[in-house]
Amino acid sequence: MPQFFLNKRLIILLVSIIVLVALIGFSLRERSKLSWPEQFVKDTAGWVESLVSKPANYIAGFFENLQDLQNTYQENKELKSRVDKIANLEAEVQALKKDNSELRDILGEKKTLRDYETQPATVIGRNPDRWHEMIIIDKGNLKGIKKNMAVITANGLIGKVKSVNQFSSTVQLLSALDPKNRISAVIQGKSNVYGFVQGFDDKEKVLLIKSIPSGAKIEKGQKVTTSGLGGVFPGGLMIGKVVDVKTDQYGLNQMALVKPGADFYDIQNVIVIKRTMTQPAKSDMSNGKEEEL
Amino acid sequence: MKKFLLPLLFAFLFIAESLFVQFLPADFFGQNRILAPRFLFSSLLLLTIFVGRKQGIIYAAVFGLIFDIVYIEIIGIYFFLFPFVAYLISKIMHVLQANMIVAFFVSMIGVALLEIGVYEMDYLIHVTSLDFLDFLNLRLYSTLILNAAFLLIFIYPLKRFFEKYGGGLKGE
Repeated sequence: MPQFFLNKRLIILLVSIIVLVALIGFSLRERSKLSWPEQFVKDTAGWVESLVSKPANYIAGFFENLQDLQNTYQENKELKSRVDKIANLEAEVQALKKDNSELRDILGEKKTLRDYETQPATVIGRNPDRWHEMIIIDKGNLKGIKKNMAVITANGLIGKVKSVNQFSSTVQLLSALDPKNRISAVIQGKSNVYGFVQGFDDKEKVLLIKSIPSGAKIEKGQKVTTSGLGGVFPGGLMIGKVVDVKTDQYGLNQMALVKPGADFYDIQNVIVIKRTMTQPAKSDMSNGKEEEL
Repeated sequence: MKKFLLPLLFAFLFIAESLFVQFLPADFFGQNRILAPRFLFSSLLLLTIFVGRKQGIIYAAVFGLIFDIVYIEIIGIYFFLFPFVAYLISKIMHVLQANMIVAFFVSMIGVALLEIGVYEMDYLIHVTSLDFLDFLNLRLYSTLILNAAFLLIFIYPLKRFFEKYGGGLKGE
């Protein structure tokens, strides 16, 4: 079939499919860093985007303020009733924190899994194709951001840093489906129940928390936070509230449906979390020193 | 100066898509519907239709590659699909006349082809687990309506723009 191979278009199509598969394979494999041409393009695009998006942020903020003005009276009433409670709560938290730090001093344990430093950042872009749920923020390697750091808003955890460039970085949202994306979570109750955040239900807009032991009792409305286990995220970051509990696919474990505290669609300012507790080295975990961790 | 107007327009649309998604309220179009702006790609298709196949495919490949690197981080999906769909559209335009109404419908077909192509690829590499019917209901219809609105508003200015500044490209 010499004519078959002489068909130029067919050859081009076949070659481009081969190149396509190779490129996708190259970019899907676990990469610790993006290659420098990619970083360069992303940084350039990020710079242009931040030029456009910062004024846009101001304008959007202005309109939001106008909207807020409309129902100020109602909100004010409601908030006033809450303020009294908050004053009480704050005093209590202060006392508990002091207690906690004193007790820690006595024990000689300075650091906890909950300790972290923060780095505020502004969102300068979002992936428009909405399959891969990602946002781009305006802080990068130069501000000390590293891969896999947790990213939160005022309302709760939204995702983790997927890749870092010099001046910008990409954040993968919790709503993205990624089998490698597992976050150890704890459902707070009388006794804590541990599980993994694993996946997002696009139709119901809830996070799925899997691998919960089948005996554990979970109720609707219980709060879910990160546990700090797993060595990447600090503990105590709010994730959301339980709305439903199901038995999982094979009937061995339970699965909790959790309504995320943060809104994944309206994000403008985020906080990147740097965990201060060091991550255990791999060698420590394999040579029988587990009790020290 | 005139040479840079076309890339500048596409670069602007490239950023406008991202801003659009960032500031669009979540429940703009019914609770769970997902709207994906395809302004850049619609304009690339119009360029293919009104100016020529070669220009259309080259611009589609370049902006597909940038789109992949900046937004997706998986190189290949749009780098392949943008020029591929542009090529198919140029084949369709061989038998049709290049007026605005035809261009509108052909571009809509192109956007639908792109959405389906991206869905199939993402399904293959486990980026999504939506089944096809959910994909149609949650994404495709709303996306098509959004892009139809964009095209209805901008097809005339874009056509004028391409005829004015794309003419030089054709001569080369």
